[in-house]
Amino acid sequence: MPPLPITNTIRKLRFEHGEMTQQDLAERVGVTRQTINAIELGKYSPSLEVAFRIAAVFGVRLEEVFSYDVGASSSMPSER
Amino acid sequence: MSFREKCAWVSFVLVVMVLVGVAAGGHLGIAGFHYFLTLLIGFALLQGVLRLIIAWQAPKDARTPKDEREQLIDLKAARIGFYALVGGVLLSMLAVHLHGNPWSGLHTMVLFVLVAWAIKLGAEIVYYRRGR
Repeated sequence: MPPLPITNTIRKLRFEHGEMTQQDLAERVGVTRQTINAIELGKYSPSLEVAFRIAAVFGVRLEEVFSYDVGASSSMPSER
Repeated sequence: MSFREKCAWVSFVLVVMVLVGVAAGGHLGIAGFHYFLTLLIGFALLQGVLRLIIAWQAPKDARTPKDEREQLIDLKAARIGFYALVGGVLLSMLAVHLHGNPWSGLHTMVLFVLVAWAIKLGAEIVYYRRGR
């Protein structure tokens, strides 16, 4: 299974927000703890809505949580 | 392991057990109706009890509705199971054609419904293990 080109700083943000647990974050976002874990480990890319909700919990912009690694993706559409 | 993954494991093991039971009772013909009915009732009861036990261990997880990742896993697994089911229905039609016995066709169809179900649950477990 190829790694997803989307990386995130959720672990760091949780640490900066008083060692928030995955369960706390999951409850505030409205998903399961396993989903937060999968997102954090880069196994699952969340929907835009969940991504915004995660950013809102930490009170930061979306780009501060998620970033897209263009080099890691081989399926980028070519520029015309 | 999440509540839903545990449920998938329980269902998978029970469906495989019923599948083996149905396959073993193929020679009984229509006389085995009570045998298959017992298998079905046993399956439903055992699954209900085991799910209740799992839910009792993690009541919070059991009450939480499926989130987007779990719904996606469910859909992806159902798609794989659907292909198995379609293949099974075609093979069942072939069985009726070859044997000319409606019981044989019905038995093959029930077998493939169970196979498709087991494949769907197996795929769910794999996706849960992988995280997506």
